[in-house]
Amino acid sequence: MVDQLLFFIEVVVGGLLAGTMYSLVALGFVLIFKASATFNFSQGAMVFFAVLAFVGFMQDFNVPFVLAFFLAVGLMVIVGLCTERLVLRPLMNQSEDTLLMATIGLGYVLEGLAQAMWGVEVRRLDLGIKDFPIPWIADNLKLFISAIDLTAGIVAFGMIIGLSLLFKYTKMGLGLRAVADDAGAASSIGIPLKHIMLLVWSAAGVVALVAGMMWGARAGVQFALVDLALKALPVLIIGGFSSIPGAIIGGLLIGAVEKVLEVYIGPFFGGAIEGWAPYVLAIFFLLYRPEGLFGEKIIRRV
Amino acid sequence: MSSTSGNILELKNVKVVYDNVILALHDVTLNVPKGKIVALLGGNGAGKSTTLKSISTMLASERGKVTGGSISYDGNPIDKQNPSQMVNLGMVQVLEGRRCFGHLTVEENIISGAYSRKLSRGDINQELEKIYGYFIRLKERRKSQAGFTSGGEQQMIAVARAMMAKPKMLLLDEPSMGLAPQLVAEIFNIVKELNQKEGVSVLLAEQNTNVALKNSDHGYIIETGKVMLEGSAKSLLNDDKVKELYLGISKEGRKNFRDVLKEESKKKSKKKVN
Repeated sequence: MVDQLLFFIEVVVGGLLAGTMYSLVALGFVLIFKASATFNFSQGAMVFFAVLAFVGFMQDFNVPFVLAFFLAVGLMVIVGLCTERLVLRPLMNQSEDTLLMATIGLGYVLEGLAQAMWGVEVRRLDLGIKDFPIPWIADNLKLFISAIDLTAGIVAFGMIIGLSLLFKYTKMGLGLRAVADDAGAASSIGIPLKHIMLLVWSAAGVVALVAGMMWGARAGVQFALVDLALKALPVLIIGGFSSIPGAIIGGLLIGAVEKVLEVYIGPFFGGAIEGWAPYVLAIFFLLYRPEGLFGEKIIRRV
Repeated sequence: MSSTSGNILELKNVKVVYDNVILALHDVTLNVPKGKIVALLGGNGAGKSTTLKSISTMLASERGKVTGGSISYDGNPIDKQNPSQMVNLGMVQVLEGRRCFGHLTVEENIISGAYSRKLSRGDINQELEKIYGYFIRLKERRKSQAGFTSGGEQQMIAVARAMMAKPKMLLLDEPSMGLAPQLVAEIFNIVKELNQKEGVSVLLAEQNTNVALKNSDHGYIIETGKVMLEGSAKSLLNDDKVKELYLGISKEGRKNFRDVLKEESKKKSKKKVN
């Protein structure tokens, strides 16, 4: 009985830790959604692009780890800059559907560029962290928690805190929240939309890089990362598209639920249900609570 | 004319088209003298907001375009600027319907107005205190979420926010909209105070003709995108046609300006025939 309980806790903790990564990627979506009211379909491609570039710098050019990381960050800022200049600015004031289609197109461009530059084979990424249970926790708490899950969880949590502080206390953050509330009013008082766009796309790029590194370290840097990142979609449906806390909690929820379902219900379906179970959950949310758990409270005075 | 004429803003035969087809302004010519308050009056759809947006260059975001005439601000033509450049030049528009950032606090809303200026934390606090001096009500509510404040407070937030950009000229779009008369008076008093103490020139679009004219120096009446009448605020307040059409002091039913002008020209032509 105790063993079963411990196993359940293990599954949940593992799921929550994996969920922090979904939270982080979902956060990238939320940022862009808040600033430009569009769902950024190219986020998955950004994850792939960022981490492939990072691995490419390290393996093809023998750049040391830290430098490769900052090069990749720089590259993602450049991607953000180009996106703002070449895609978003010309499409300013067009309908949201137009922007949505543009992000889909952008996704293909990024996927193609990444593969053209670095090739198509799956690359191994070694962060020096093993996908094995941490001995200390295994000995003392009798829980088998993977070191890489724990690292990913801590990194994602740290980044989420960092981003929240950035938005709460910096001038740029204030600008972003203003634009998210009312872009027209923000531009009427001189908040330049292009700076804010650059900020959110760069932030989304860095988030994509970190998520890609964590996922890539476990499963290899490969094209499948694009689809993995799109798991942020059910996260957002559950958490609410415009809510930062929603993205975080939605991610954790999806992480935990998909692991629990996989372990306890998966065998009845022949396994591998974690790929689609979150989408089923998302459909239930769409039916019964379409604004998500934390969808922007619509403030209405009575 | 140049800036030596003493006008901070000059519009000459301005024509505006939306979506390449809808003609919103036919012919608007107006001047705002430096340091004065000018009222732009007219009913719904007369073109007041369009006029203001053509000045602040906010038109582009609604797919509108100035297709004729000229606008000059502070002696320089406005054509290629964008709204944030206009704010840097000292021209800020307070949009119709207040448009506060509902999820931000009152204070964050006001501080966001200083975004275009490079101010230190200390300078911002100093400016804030100055602004709170005019908007005492807002100081009490500084920590509340703006979306939950009253309509009057939201209008004050919008004006206070605009003032944080240290404008030389304010464009106010219907500050009285949906507010109780007492609040309207309070807001107009603040606007007047800002005009006198800070030297801000004001162009305000209003439907509330009475209050607007009582608080301004000069007035323009526009209808269907055309300036129909202009004059000093006093003369407009005493003008029979304005009284009848916009102040509701009338013997007959409601008419619009065009009808009155038509009738007058008919009378004139009859006289000539006689």
